[in-house]
Amino acid sequence: MAMASVLTQTTDRPSRTRRARRAGVVGSRAFPYLLILPMLALEAALVVYPILRGALFSLDTPAGLGLDNYRTMLVDPDFWRMIVHTLVFTLSVVVVILAIGLSLSLLMNWSFRGRGVVRSLLTVPWAIPEVPVAITFVLMLDPSFGVFNAFLRFFPGVTENPQWLLDPTLAMLVVIGATVWKGFPFYSLVLLSALQNVPTELYEAAKIDRAGRLAQFRYITLPSIRGTVALLAVLAFIYSTQQFTLIWLITGGGPVDATTTLAPAIYMQAFRFYNFSYAGAIAVVGFGISAVATLCFVLLQRRMETPE
Amino acid sequence: MSALRTGSRLPSLADALRGATILVVSAIIFFPVYWMIVSSIRPSAESLSFPPPLLPGSIEFSSYFQLFTEKPIARWLLLSTLVASLTVIGTLILVIPAAYALSRLYWRGRTAFGLLLLFTQMMPAAVVVAPVLALYRNLGWTDNLWALALLHTAFVVPLCAWVLKASFDAVPKEIVEAALIDGCDRWKVLWLVVLPLTRPGLVAVSVIAFFASWNEYLFASTLITRNDLYTASLGLATLMTQLDTPLFVLMAAGVTFSILPVLFYMAIQRHLLRGLTAGAVKG
Repeated sequence: MAMASVLTQTTDRPSRTRRARRAGVVGSRAFPYLLILPMLALEAALVVYPILRGALFSLDTPAGLGLDNYRTMLVDPDFWRMIVHTLVFTLSVVVVILAIGLSLSLLMNWSFRGRGVVRSLLTVPWAIPEVPVAITFVLMLDPSFGVFNAFLRFFPGVTENPQWLLDPTLAMLVVIGATVWKGFPFYSLVLLSALQNVPTELYEAAKIDRAGRLAQFRYITLPSIRGTVALLAVLAFIYSTQQFTLIWLITGGGPVDATTTLAPAIYMQAFRFYNFSYAGAIAVVGFGISAVATLCFVLLQRRMETPE
Repeated sequence: MSALRTGSRLPSLADALRGATILVVSAIIFFPVYWMIVSSIRPSAESLSFPPPLLPGSIEFSSYFQLFTEKPIARWLLLSTLVASLTVIGTLILVIPAAYALSRLYWRGRTAFGLLLLFTQMMPAAVVVAPVLALYRNLGWTDNLWALALLHTAFVVPLCAWVLKASFDAVPKEIVEAALIDGCDRWKVLWLVVLPLTRPGLVAVSVIAFFASWNEYLFASTLITRNDLYTASLGLATLMTQLDTPLFVLMAAGVTFSILPVLFYMAIQRHLLRGLTAGAVKG
């Protein structure tokens, strides 16, 4: 099955003579540009322009235009702590979400009764808005009556309810957990459809060759879905760098700054400390990270299209 | 793998184990959803005891009654519906022509436009939130639900363009060529041939746009400050931070707010998968 891409050509191109004969705007060379113009204008005004303006904010210092904000940023230990928190958060989310997504999709790649039901149930965490997800996690982790603590008590040695949101490490685990829980269905559903696209003949041939389950996984399944896994890793990275609402509502970036990743850091600088100019500098870093990730996505996609 | 298994009549031990694993895993995954619902319909005392009983002792819906009588949730939901509907209208107006140009026309700069869309789709909203607020203040657009809908539109159209492009791509080339030869111009081809064939794609795009706006919190919380203009996600977040809201009322609000997106997302799951991977993976 061919992978359709962002830039697939399905153009219907009438012959040159037909095009020349057709008069008016619709047949003209400008027509495609007129079609995209409204969307382009909106994106330029509300996405591209604010990015540029944010970058300008960051250069606007009390001493005139300059790189002072960046100099401050590079020697600011808070900035580097934020970068470390962002890396810990995003990398954990990527690894855990792919591990859960892949094992779940392998588990479900099998025709059983009620698979449709399980698929639909899987969609639920993904469809619930972030605000109710945050509310539910805060309730489940409450130190005095949270149900999660009740489960934890089953483990030997646990006699006290941990203060989930007051301990830096635990708070980080909580925001990673909530982000993974809300996001994983997408990854397992996409991987499931990738698994279902692996030709059954390959497995049949492997059985004839007496390849074991593990060998089948290693030499057939894994190579067939490698491209999809790579793309999903990039998407999971982007998903976790975008995460603001869950972190903000569950921990508020705390305790102190233990769960302050990129998005909450920008928000905090802009709206807690009203330092738009420094917030702009951090936003430029965020833009850079997101641009590099998008570039990786495009390159991976190109590679998937060209057969090796 | 699946095709090999359907032949056998009796489930093997391995299959039974696998089924049991799926059951257990589904239960774990689904637990927070169960807990949210149960906490909204059980007596408050039960939720506040430790350890909380896993099954509700008695079921009552008074929390929902209290939610709708004491909190302005009906108003919040109404305003969310208004903003989300405006977002859908804006999205459809922008995305239909653009997706058509991306899918079926040949023009210079198409690749660049595709890349621009991808970059804006992947951009964290936090990167632009402060400059957007500055821009909206200059324009006098804060505390304005129309302007909020416009912003939601700008952030959802890239994804919607991919979803609709995938639908347009699936319209057979021959049908379009036949219409062109019969003398339809491209505008008529779009309206009379392509759009009627891509109704599921249009539905999917509308659902995505509606709930992207419905769920959105960051922009809403920075641009809307007046209580009487609160949308549901904003109202809910305030209930959460106000300590005087009874727990079961808060949970009832969460459930009420989640019902619509859950139902609709289930219905359009496949389309959404395709769009979110920007068409790279067949959903």
